[in-house]
Amino acid sequence: MARTLLCEIVTPEKIVYTNEVEMVVAPTLDGEVGILPLHAPLVTVLRAGELRVRYNDNKDVEWFAVSGGYLQVYQDKVIVLADAAEHASRVDIDRARQAKERAQQRMAEIKAKPLMEREDMTECEEDLKWCDIQLRVAERSS
Amino acid sequence: MANLRDIKQRIVSVQSTSQITRTMEMVATAKIKKAQEKIESARPYSFAMMEVLGNVARYVQGATHPLLEEHEERKRVLIVTITSDRGLCGAFNSNILRITEDLIRSERAAGVETDVVAVGKKAIGYLRYRGIEPTAAYRDISDKPTFAEARSIASLIIPRYSAEELDAAYIVFNRFKNVAEQKPETYQLLPIEHAVVEADEEGSGMQAEYLFEPSAGEVLEHLLPTYVETLVYRALMESAAAEQGARRTAMKSATDNASEMITTLTRSYNRARQAAITTEIAEIVGGAAALEEE
Repeated sequence: MARTLLCEIVTPEKIVYTNEVEMVVAPTLDGEVGILPLHAPLVTVLRAGELRVRYNDNKDVEWFAVSGGYLQVYQDKVIVLADAAEHASRVDIDRARQAKERAQQRMAEIKAKPLMEREDMTECEEDLKWCDIQLRVAERSS
Repeated sequence: MANLRDIKQRIVSVQSTSQITRTMEMVATAKIKKAQEKIESARPYSFAMMEVLGNVARYVQGATHPLLEEHEERKRVLIVTITSDRGLCGAFNSNILRITEDLIRSERAAGVETDVVAVGKKAIGYLRYRGIEPTAAYRDISDKPTFAEARSIASLIIPRYSAEELDAAYIVFNRFKNVAEQKPETYQLLPIEHAVVEADEEGSGMQAEYLFEPSAGEVLEHLLPTYVETLVYRALMESAAAEQGARRTAMKSATDNASEMITTLTRSYNRARQAAITTEIAEIVGGAAALEEE
């Protein structure tokens, strides 16, 4: 049995995932990090993106959409503090698609405005990105 | 002696009121449980958050961050006041609003301007009535607060504090102590108290060397706003659970009072009925006697 680490993904609303895994790959601000057992203690900031864990001799992979947060590694325990996180199989594809369309519409409206009035642009961009990530993750696991 | 029909009518009306209060009591009891579970499920996040924050803080000794810094002058403070959207929950809202008003008054007396963010219809109505226009108002979230809402509230505060438009921020809410007890509390959101980032100095003997990416300072920069959001979220959830608790207690005593009232009313109804019968018999007997005499 390969050495494992405990991976916990928590959001303010619930515990999304907790399991013994062999590898965690997470999207940080400076790119992806892969965490294996015996990793040095680490604290890092995550950006919105796809997170995956591998277990069962690296044969099984599970994907998660995370919308940014933090990750801490300490003594073979990985805690992911995400603002929002969703397991790939739990992503509601239809809802994500609809949300994406709405966001795109909003984006178009914002872009029609003069530059100075584009206040909601970042927020809208983030929504759009979050939808994309969810859809991508759902696709990968199917 | 009140007449029979009037008493009967009152009994019926009290009965229907008690039906409503009893139902509300049961609904509240069910909701408390849900709200409590929500608080429970948020706990792992806040614990992990505190742990990470503590770790980071140890590495950034004497950390400077706009959210940690106390401003020299106190010109404008912001108060987030959390009430419910619905009434019939005893002193739940009035306690919070009284504290809020006291706070506003004492700040004003010190020459400090106040901004209020009102959460819940009760706060909005109360403040408007008193000529205090909330800077922002949230309604219909007291039932099931989400993190997104907490974040939106926090986003009204954090940038303004960093820009030195605000010099402090407080949050007033009901803490859920247990099912039967709520405690109104005032908590300082900003500046973040140094105790938070300087926690467990003693237990720091056997620390591991942490790596930080991109750097401890930058991690802290991201972490502190999230910490404030977590505080707001927690307050919203505590208040949601406390509201149901307060409502349950209020409705329970209302139901009890109603049944007591029904008992007394029934008693006087019976007495009135008895009196009426007695009078009737006396009249008949009197009538019969009058006839016999003739």
